[in-house]
Amino acid sequence: MSSKQTPKISSGALVCGDNKMHGDITFGTNSIVHPSCTISAESGPIIFGDTCIIEEQAKIIHRVPFYRTDKNPVMFIGSNNVFEIDCTVEAAKIGNNNIFEPKCFVGNKVTITDGCVIGAGCVLTDEQVLPKNTIVHGSGCKQREALDQPNPQFGLMDTLMRLLPNYHHIRKPIKKP
Amino acid sequence: MAYIVEPDVVRYACMCGLLKPISRLYFCRHCLHLRCGFCVCHEVDSLFCGKCLENLPSTEAKLKKNKCSNCLECPSCHQQLSSKAATVAPKNPEDPKATPKKVIYLCCLNCRWTTRDVGIPDQEVGKSGWPEHENVHTNRLNAIMNHYKKLVLKEKQQQMDKDKKQRKYTTSLAERTGVTASILRKRLGMTELKNPLLEADDLKPAVASKEIVDSIEHLLTTPIKLNDITTIDQRLKLPDWQPTAVDKLYPVHKQLSVKRSLRCRSCEHNVSKPEYSPNSIKFKIQLFAYYHIPEIRIVTVEPLRIGKQCELLIKLINPTQHQTTITILPLEHLDAIQQEDTKVIEDPPETKEPLSFQLLQSSLTSHPRQINAKVGTDVSIPTSSIILPARDDAAEYDDTGETQNFQDDPKLVVFRKSNKAVIKLLVAPMENLELGEEVIAGFTMQHVYTSTIATTTENKEPQKFDHKMKIYLTLGTLVGSQ
Amino acid sequence: MPIYEGITTEKLHVVIDIGSAYTKLGFSGEHAPRCIIRTEVFCKKTHKVRKIYDYEDKYDLYDLLVDFIHILYFKYALISPKDKPVVIVESLLSPTQFRDVLAKVFFKHYEVSSIYLLPSHLVSLAGLGIETALVVDVGYKEATVIPICFGLPFVHSWQALPLASQSIHSNIKTLLASENMGMVDINENVLEDIKVRCCFVTTKTRAQSWNETKPTITPCPDVEYPYNGKSSLKISGKLRETVYELLYVEDNDHQCLSTMILDAILNVNLDLRKILAENILVIGGTAMAPGFKSRLKEELYKQLKCTAYEKLKVNDFKFHSSPSLDNYTAWLGGAIYSHTELIQFKSISREDYLRENRIPDWINLKDNQISLL
Repeated sequence: MSSKQTPKISSGALVCGDNKMHGDITFGTNSIVHPSCTISAESGPIIFGDTCIIEEQAKIIHRVPFYRTDKNPVMFIGSNNVFEIDCTVEAAKIGNNNIFEPKCFVGNKVTITDGCVIGAGCVLTDEQVLPKNTIVHGSGCKQREALDQPNPQFGLMDTLMRLLPNYHHIRKPIKKP
Repeated sequence: MAYIVEPDVVRYACMCGLLKPISRLYFCRHCLHLRCGFCVCHEVDSLFCGKCLENLPSTEAKLKKNKCSNCLECPSCHQQLSSKAATVAPKNPEDPKATPKKVIYLCCLNCRWTTRDVGIPDQEVGKSGWPEHENVHTNRLNAIMNHYKKLVLKEKQQQMDKDKKQRKYTTSLAERTGVTASILRKRLGMTELKNPLLEADDLKPAVASKEIVDSIEHLLTTPIKLNDITTIDQRLKLPDWQPTAVDKLYPVHKQLSVKRSLRCRSCEHNVSKPEYSPNSIKFKIQLFAYYHIPEIRIVTVEPLRIGKQCELLIKLINPTQHQTTITILPLEHLDAIQQEDTKVIEDPPETKEPLSFQLLQSSLTSHPRQINAKVGTDVSIPTSSIILPARDDAAEYDDTGETQNFQDDPKLVVFRKSNKAVIKLLVAPMENLELGEEVIAGFTMQHVYTSTIATTTENKEPQKFDHKMKIYLTLGTLVGSQ
Repeated sequence: MPIYEGITTEKLHVVIDIGSAYTKLGFSGEHAPRCIIRTEVFCKKTHKVRKIYDYEDKYDLYDLLVDFIHILYFKYALISPKDKPVVIVESLLSPTQFRDVLAKVFFKHYEVSSIYLLPSHLVSLAGLGIETALVVDVGYKEATVIPICFGLPFVHSWQALPLASQSIHSNIKTLLASENMGMVDINENVLEDIKVRCCFVTTKTRAQSWNETKPTITPCPDVEYPYNGKSSLKISGKLRETVYELLYVEDNDHQCLSTMILDAILNVNLDLRKILAENILVIGGTAMAPGFKSRLKEELYKQLKCTAYEKLKVNDFKFHSSPSLDNYTAWLGGAIYSHTELIQFKSISREDYLRENRIPDWINLKDNQISLL
């Protein structure tokens, strides 16, 4: 289990060069990873789904709480998730179509299902399972339920796919055998 | 200049007795006194919407119930709603004439609430008019209001009739000669004019019932979903409805904001009047104390010890366009003068006058409150005055040397630059203070104020006045004893 | 509602109802207040938000009221207070000191032209169009009962007990502390939110079985209340049902909400008792809790069987429902009254106040002297 493992990048994913990655990380197809983010798989591997967007200064850390006694904990992150700037996410299980707005903090006891939006600056540390389509907003972390999932932003992804290689070094995708 | 966030270290005593920093004071140049937000009279100047910056005249605002007709607020988090466009596919895809329509729905950027959550249909582009909620009891309440109005009018009419009977000459000239409006109408054949409000009406009074529709059965068995129940803040935004379920929350029109003009209570002149346009932050009349009264800033203060004379360096800044002379006087100087003035006023005639203008004037400035500051130091009063030249805006770009030659007492004035001077004062904390206690120093500052009121007389020289005010400086905590 | 309802020349007067917890502000002739806001203001001395009714002395109250009324006029009503009349709906049992300071603030600081003071119990009947009823006001600080007969409040049979939202909030706090370990001090607003969203008033039979040592009924489901994102409070079913029970627990003087109402009826003439019992109006924000009114009816019928109330000779209780929500019924009465011409005759003008330096009060003998004319 060396910490100098290179992340496994599926075809079609765009991972910029200068970000800190430690541990066993797998990116799904069509994912976009901006520069200067931190992805640290300390306690175990992190597996991303397809078309995830991870923006600058986002910190995705797999840090298992002390009372969990799984032998090989894996952090599963679903597809179509957006991790906006400077968010810190430690939740062990994340579903699909979630948005983590800038400067939010999600602790490692939280489990996030599908379609949730964690608002900017919200700090969620309590042990809970966020129901589907929950929006957390405000300084008191008020919650409300939305009608449906947030729309994926295809236009943004196309633009990023075109522009990012012009300005940053890209890690080569590793074709899985 | 961090007056907004830093604590108020230098405070001026306003005429009403409150202590405020210079950034919160106004200077009335007609009665030559400091005023603060408390003792000045606030008035509504103009109404505008904070989001679309649209000005509304007050009569229109009354009709629209002080709400902007274009801007809406999110019922969930009370932030502004913005419109988002979406396209709707035409109903008949085979019809070549049908084009995809553009529709608008409202969305909150903070909590991502949309009008679709409540079931409000999307509006087409160009047709504005989001549905409003009507009060269910409108008709009944209108009937009740009319009924009570009629009741009061009837009573008033009865009272007037009673008064008429008591008077001797009840017939007016018109009635005696027979040229009243009612006789004319009869002659012309028109119907009699009746006051609609005096007509009899039958209002059905409310009927009490034995049955109460208030079932809690559903609460006993089904688990509640907290996210589906409205909080009390969300309910109170819609006072006439107050829905308990989240899917009934309608967006509310945004409340308008107000631009205030301030008026001195004693001389009724405006002290601050903003411009009419909501886009502009300037003022038509801007009599802030910051632009007329010399500002005092603390430069340094030696650590304070009881009984020991500590050095205090303060910076005096002259913001006006005229030269001024500043004299530091003891704190009680102003009280002595005020006592002399009240002695003169205290012998009024003892006859009962009808309510004079003075009584109607508020007692805010005639009975100021006690100044709430415990002065704990003795300030050694300097003997000489300091002359501060006028403020010159071009001086900072002008590199030629200063040509001022003021005969300064070197022990008093430490440093000078254009309209600023740093002076040294000696303060001695008093014996009765404890260690760690906040030390407050106070003195009276007198400066020569040159009036900026445009005079129409032949005399072209603007008038000069001596203006005195009390200053209180918070110097920090007591460090040690001697 | 159409925007142009005809160019009205009627003047709009500001109608204010300052309650202990919430203030209702609106204009005369309207059907609902423009806004209902908390009666608290940011105090500049202590840099904290303070409730106005938690004042220390009259000088403190003066400053708090000046700031609060400033916000009322310049943020919500958007008119200048100077030289305009103001209508205040107040309880007949409001403290004299509060009334006097309020009048002083309005007349001396804001220079209004006149104040029209209306008693809240009396004007609540305006929305119903009747003249006789027993008005029960369950607010924040206290529950008060005053019978109104033929348009006159019978103040001698007033009843008041501190059984209202404030005591319910502290009850929630103590019950929560026993169920949640390590709970930090909970804010009053959070307690109110728990009360409004989770709690309700249960039926008499269920309440009695909760009182037994081994309750046999199934409680309603628990609620996990997320608190600030960092922790969550467990609100048990028992708490949800039994918080409001303190309203009906008799204290040492055998008084509770239901006995209060019956005592008020007892203190009135024999002929009026039946009419009052069949015209009960419940107002106040606390009365909007689910199940409140049906439980009140049950309790009243149960209390009738007590020996103390045998001579009451009342068989039925009938309740009115006002064309408004309970928390602003008194305000609506003020809006109706101030829409008529009464405001010109019965308000206290500024000249009168400055001459006498006081406002008329029903407890003051000076205002109760019978004129010999």
